[in-house]
Amino acid sequence: MGAEEKEKTNPREDDGEIRIGVYVCHCGLNIAGSVDCGEVAKFAATLPHVVWAQDNRYTCSDQGQEQIKKDIKEHKLNRVVVASCSPRLHEPTFRKTCEDAGLNKYLFEMANIREHCSWVHLYDRQSATEKAKDLVKMAVAKAARLQSAKEIEVPIIRKALVIGGGVAGIQAALDLADTGYKVYLVEKEPSIGGMMARIDKTFPTMDCSICILAPKMSDVGHHPNIELLANSEVTDVKGYIGNFHVKILKRPRFVKNDCSACGECSKVCPVIAPNKFDAGLAIRHAIYTPFAQAVPSTYIIDMNLCLNKDGVTVCDKCMKACERQAIDFEMKPETVEIDVGTIIVAIGADVFDPSSLQNYGYGKYLNVITSLEFERLINAGGPSGGHLIRPSDLEIPRRVAFIQCVGSRSDKSGRLYCSNVCCMNTIKDSLLIKEHWPETEIHVFYVDIRAYGKGFEDLYKRARKEGVLFIRGLPAEIVEDRKTHNLWLVGENTLQKELYKVNVDMAILSVGLEPRKDSEPIQRLLTLSRTQDGFFMEAHPKLRPVDAATGGIFFAGCAESPKDIKDSVTQASAAAARAGILMAKGKVTVEAITPIFYPERCKVCGLCAKVCPYNAIVLNKELKRVELVKAACGGCGTCAAECPFDALTQDHFTDEQIISQIDAVTESDADKKIVAFCCNWCAYAGADFAGVSRMQYPPSVRIIRTMCSGRVAPKFVERAFARGAAAVLVAGCHPGDCHYINANYQTQKRVERLWKKMEQQGLDKERLQLLWASAAEGERFASKIREMNRLVEKVSPEEINNAKKVFEKALGGD
Amino acid sequence: MPERIRHAPLDMGKATFPKAKIQLIKDQCKGCGFCIRFCPQKVLEESQEINARGVHPPKIVDESKCLACGFCTAVCPDFAIFIIEKPSKEDVKNG
Repeated sequence: MGAEEKEKTNPREDDGEIRIGVYVCHCGLNIAGSVDCGEVAKFAATLPHVVWAQDNRYTCSDQGQEQIKKDIKEHKLNRVVVASCSPRLHEPTFRKTCEDAGLNKYLFEMANIREHCSWVHLYDRQSATEKAKDLVKMAVAKAARLQSAKEIEVPIIRKALVIGGGVAGIQAALDLADTGYKVYLVEKEPSIGGMMARIDKTFPTMDCSICILAPKMSDVGHHPNIELLANSEVTDVKGYIGNFHVKILKRPRFVKNDCSACGECSKVCPVIAPNKFDAGLAIRHAIYTPFAQAVPSTYIIDMNLCLNKDGVTVCDKCMKACERQAIDFEMKPETVEIDVGTIIVAIGADVFDPSSLQNYGYGKYLNVITSLEFERLINAGGPSGGHLIRPSDLEIPRRVAFIQCVGSRSDKSGRLYCSNVCCMNTIKDSLLIKEHWPETEIHVFYVDIRAYGKGFEDLYKRARKEGVLFIRGLPAEIVEDRKTHNLWLVGENTLQKELYKVNVDMAILSVGLEPRKDSEPIQRLLTLSRTQDGFFMEAHPKLRPVDAATGGIFFAGCAESPKDIKDSVTQASAAAARAGILMAKGKVTVEAITPIFYPERCKVCGLCAKVCPYNAIVLNKELKRVELVKAACGGCGTCAAECPFDALTQDHFTDEQIISQIDAVTESDADKKIVAFCCNWCAYAGADFAGVSRMQYPPSVRIIRTMCSGRVAPKFVERAFARGAAAVLVAGCHPGDCHYINANYQTQKRVERLWKKMEQQGLDKERLQLLWASAAEGERFASKIREMNRLVEKVSPEEINNAKKVFEKALGGD
Repeated sequence: MPERIRHAPLDMGKATFPKAKIQLIKDQCKGCGFCIRFCPQKVLEESQEINARGVHPPKIVDESKCLACGFCTAVCPDFAIFIIEKPSKEDVKNG
C-alpha cells in the first residue's frame, strides 16, 4: 500500500505545510565536546520540511525553551525536534514547552545525541558528528509524520474491591472505608482474619495476635462503608482502570444472618471433622464457626459433611436446636455483580507442606509438627487450651527442637527465597515455651538467624539469655524411637565442625511461606504478572512497590512477597492510599500511544486479541468484529506488530513513522550500520545507562525507540535488511520482566521466525540479534554492540545483496 | 487455608455422638427400600431372608455408625423401623 493512500485513510491527518524546527543542544561540553553541533545544525537545515535549525548551549534552560516558544510563533513551526539528551529525561520538559506555545505535545520529537552518541564515542569526533546527523535525520523524518493527538480521559468509579480478608485486606479496606469510599471485601473462607487470627502471639512485642486483630475484624463487620462478602470468590473481572465489572460467587452458608452465634446447633450436630482453622488438631461439627472471634459470626454448615448433603433434609437436629430458626437448607449460591474503580489484591500466602521432605518424617512421626500447628497448640483458644502437649502421648515435652528454613532458601527442598518471618517466629515461640515451662530444654537449628527489624535483635538476645540453644547447621535427618516416640536429630554443627546427635521429645519444623495455590486464577482474571518465586510482581521494585503493572490494581501483604504483620499492614495502608489517589481524582488520562484501527482492512482473524497482554482488544464473534478498549490499553503496540493485514498501528509509533526512521538510517552507508530497535523501559534505558557511565562502543549503531520490543514487526526488520543494513538488533526486557506483562514473548517468537526464514534462504542469521538487557545492564548492551560491530566489519557485499533480494517485498513497491 | 492435615485431632476422644438402638419389625416391611436408600450413614442394606409378606426386609450392617437422625422412622410407609436413642455419657452423668 502506497504512502499516499495511507495518509488518506488516516482520520487525523494534519493538512497544510509541514514546518519543522530543529534545535541542537551543546549541553555545555557534554555533547559539544565530541560532536560538532554547529555542523549538525547546518546539516539539519538541509533536511526536507526543516524551516529553522540552530544550535544552542542549553536547550532545556529557560532561555532555550523561550527560544522554541518564540520560534513556534515567529516561524509558524508545527513540528519541533530537539537533539539533546534522552527522551526519558527531558521529553516531558519540551512537550510542555510546545504545549505552552499552543503546539500539540505529540508533535514533538527528540534525537538522543548525548547518551547514545557523544558520551559513548568520546574520542571519535568525526564519527560521533556523523552519527548525530543520522540521529537528527531519523528524528526529522519521524517528526514530519507525527500527528497531533488528544489523550482520552477515563472516569474512575469511586468504589474499591479488596480481595482477601487477612490482616492486609482488613487494613486496606478500613483505610479506604474511613476515607469515605465504598469497599467490597471478598474472603474465600467463612471468616475474615486470615493467618494472623491463627497465630498465638506476635513478634517482637509478644502481643496476643487475635486480641489486637479482633477489634479490627469487628470494625470491618460494622463499618457502614464496607460490604463484607465472606465465603465468596471472585469469578470474573472485566474492564479496565477505573471501571472494573466484577462477578463474585457467594456460596451459601445455610444459616441466615439472624444467627446469634449461641452455638446450640453445633452441640447437637452428629457429624464431626478436623477443624482446618486449628490445623486439624481439634474437631468441629458440620455446623460450626471456625473460631470464637469470627466475623461474620454467623455459623456455617459444611455441606460436604452434613447428613443432608444429598438435598433431602434427613437430619434436623440443628434446626430444632436453633431458637431463632436461622437455619435454611434451601439457600442457594448467588452471583453478585459489582462495579469498582480500583482493586487491591491481598490474597496472602500458603505455608510450605513439609511432607515432601522425607528426612524430617513429617506426617510419619507423630511428634514432628509444623510451626503453624505449634501456634494452635500454644494458643489458649486452641485444641489443648494453651498447654503445649505432644501429639503421641499428650504429655508436656521437656526437650524441644526447632528446625529453621524448612522449605526456604533451598531450590532442592523447597523455595529459593528467604521467607522472612520464620526466624523471628521461632525466637518468639521459644520464649513462649520458656515463659510457661522455664525448665524446657530448647534447641534451635538454623542456617542464619535474620533478626533485621525494629526490636528483633533484642528479642534474639533475650532468647539466648533465657537459655535457648542456637546451633548452626540443620539436622540431616530425624529418627524416631519407636517405643517412646522421642526423636533423634542428627547433623553437623558447622560452627564447631563436629557432628551432633540430639534427643528431643518434640520437633517443630519452621515452615516457610509460598505463593497461594489459587494465585493463578487471580493472575489470569486481573492480567497480573508474577516473579519467578511465584509472588505477584510490582510495577517497580523500588518506586512503585504496591502498584501492579495493570492500572488500578494494587498489592498488599504476602501476595506480593512473604512479610510479617507490620509490613503487611504498612503495605496495605500504602495500597489504600494509592487507590485513594486515583479515586479522589475521579479520572485518569491515557497516553495517546494506543492502537489506531482501520476496520476496512480487518479480516477479524483475532490474532491481535490473542497477543494483547491487557485484554484491551476483544474479538466479538457474534458481530464479527474486533473491539478496542483504549482505556485498558497499556500501549505496547504488540497488536500492531502482529496484525498481518496492517489493520492496526500504534499512535505515535505508527508503521509509517518507524519505517521513515529505518529509511533515514539506511539512506547512506547502510552496509556499515546496525539498526537497533530498543524498548523504552529496559534496552533503551540500558543504552542510556551505558551513556551515563561513559561505556565506549563502536558508533555503527542507530537506535530506534519503541515502547516495547513487542512493537517490532517482522516487516521492520525485513525492511532494514532490504535496504542493505549490515545488522539488526532487537532488544527488550528480560522475559518475565516485561513492562507490558508478557508482550516480549511475542518479540521472541517473531525473531525466531525471522531466523528460520533467514536460514532457509541461506542468509547469515547472526546478522539479526536478540538481546534482553535491563535498564541497569549498560555494559551488556555495550558489549553486544561491540560484538555485532565485529560482525558488521566481516559481512560481505554479496551477503548484503542476497538479503536485499530475499526481503525485497518488504520495500512495498517503493 | 488449603494446607494438608497430617495429625489427628487431639480431642478426638472427647467427641460424643448420639447412639441409637435400631428396631426392625421385619414382617411389617413391604420391601420398598426407602430406609436403605435414604440412610445418610449407610447403616442398612437389603437382607437375603424373606419375611411374612414375601419380601427382603433390611438388615443392620453397622449399628455403631447410626447417628440417630430418625429419618428411617419418618420415611417408612409401614412403621416397620424405629430407633431408640441411647442416653449419651453426659446425660448419664447428669442423671
